[in-house]
Amino acid sequence: MGQTQTNSNAVALMTAVNCCEMRISTNPVETLVAFSIGSGMGVTVHDPVCGVGGILNFVLPDSGSAKGINPNRVPFMFADTGIPAFLAALVALNAQPERLKVVVAGGAHIMDQTGAFNIGRQNLAALKTCCDAYNLKIHHENTGGSSSRTLSLDIGSGCSSIKIFGQGEEKV
Amino acid sequence: MTDVKDIVARIDQLEPVPPTAGRIMALAQDPDSSMSEIAELILNDPAITANLLKTCNSAYFGLNRKVDSVRDAIGYVGLDHVVQLVMLNSVCQNFKNTPQGYGLGEGELWRHAVTSAHLAKILAGKFGRSRHKHLIYTAALLKDIGKLILGRFVAFSFEEINILVNSKGYSFNDAEKQIIGMNHEELGALVGQKWCFSDKLIYIIRHHHLSNESAREDLETSLVYLADIICMMMGVCTGADGLSYRFYGDVLNRLNLAEKDLQAIIAETGENQQKIDYLLNLI
Repeated sequence: MGQTQTNSNAVALMTAVNCCEMRISTNPVETLVAFSIGSGMGVTVHDPVCGVGGILNFVLPDSGSAKGINPNRVPFMFADTGIPAFLAALVALNAQPERLKVVVAGGAHIMDQTGAFNIGRQNLAALKTCCDAYNLKIHHENTGGSSSRTLSLDIGSGCSSIKIFGQGEEKV
Repeated sequence: MTDVKDIVARIDQLEPVPPTAGRIMALAQDPDSSMSEIAELILNDPAITANLLKTCNSAYFGLNRKVDSVRDAIGYVGLDHVVQLVMLNSVCQNFKNTPQGYGLGEGELWRHAVTSAHLAKILAGKFGRSRHKHLIYTAALLKDIGKLILGRFVAFSFEEINILVNSKGYSFNDAEKQIIGMNHEELGALVGQKWCFSDKLIYIIRHHHLSNESAREDLETSLVYLADIICMMMGVCTGADGLSYRFYGDVLNRLNLAEKDLQAIIAETGENQQKIDYLLNLI
C-alpha cells in the first residue's frame, strides 16, 4: 500500500485487496489492487453514475464445502456468501445493479489439474451462477490458464486493468 | 545455456543456515531425545537463543510472564513452536531478499515460504506421520531457496522460458532446466548439500515439484508439493511462474485426499492468514 503525490491537490492512493477480502471506495484518486490471483477470482464492480466501485477477491466457490469454517467470520472467502455481501455493500452506497460494470479475472489452474480438483473452473462457474441470480452482466473476463493475474480498479475512471507477468496489461 | 558452474559458484553469496538449526530439528524428530538435550543444544548458540527468547516474549504469544530461559520457552510455547521459530529465524535473512526474474515484490518469497510451511504443518497433522512434522515444515520453508540464486539467470532468459511454458506446454521448472541448464529444485538441493542438510531434506527440496516419478510415492515430498500447489492456487505471492507446474492427481488419491478436503485446507489457510501475517511481522 502506498501513496504518491500526483499534484498539489490530490494524492493517488493504492489499496491492496488481499485474498478473502473485499474493498469498496468512492475516492476518485484511489486504485484498488488484488495482486497475484491464482485459482481464486477477482471481481471489479463500478457504478459510473455514483462513482462507487470495489474489488472482491474470493478463493472458493461454496461455503458449504469448507467443513469447520464459519462463513460468517470469512464471508469474502466464498463466492456464494461473498458476492451477495459485496453487492449489498455497494448498493448501500447507492450503486444500482443495472448500471454496474463487472470485470473478472482469475480462475487459473495448476497444469493438468482437471476434473473436480480444478477449483479455478468451479470458482468461475459459481461466480457466473451468482451474477445470473442478480441479473449482473459480466463485461469482460480474463480467466483460466496457469498464469497468476493482478487485477486493479481505478475508482475515478472506472477502468479495470488485468496484468499477467510477461504478457502485458489489458485495460477495460 | 549458462555455464552451470557460474550458477553454483553463487551459492556462497547466501547466508548459511547455522548448523545448530539442523541439529535441533533432527533432535526434535528423534523420539529418544529429551527436552533438556534440545534446550542445551539451543543454548550453545547465543544468536538462536536470543532470537528465540525475543520472539517468545512478543505479543504474538501473549504470555502473561517473561520467558527468560530456553527451558521456559519450550515449556510455555511448546517444542513444536520452538523448533519452527528456530528454523524461521535461521533462514529469514536469505528469504527477505527479493530474487530477480520471478516477478516477486519485496518480502513475497518470504511470505510464500512461511505460508507453505504453515500449510505443510496442517497437512502433516492431517495426512502425515507426526514424527516427520519438523522436517516437512522446514522443507516447505526452504524448498524455493534455489530461486534466490537462479533468479538473475531466469531474468536474463525469461522470454525464452516464457515461450516454452506458454507455447510448448513446459512446466516452469522444466523450462528453466531446458534454457538455463538447471532448475531451482536442483540448485536448492546443491545449497542443501553445501550447508550439510540431511539427505531427506535435500531430497524433498530436489523433488518438490514431483517431476521424478518415485518422489510421488514419498509421503513427505508429496506433502510439501501439496502445500506448494495450494499456495499457488490461493495466489500467495505467486510470481512470473504463476501456477505453471504439473498437477498429479494420483498423489492426492494416494493421500486419500478428495476435492472437498482440498477446499477445506484452502479455507483453513485463508482463515489463518492473520496469524501468518503476525508471524511475518515478528520474524
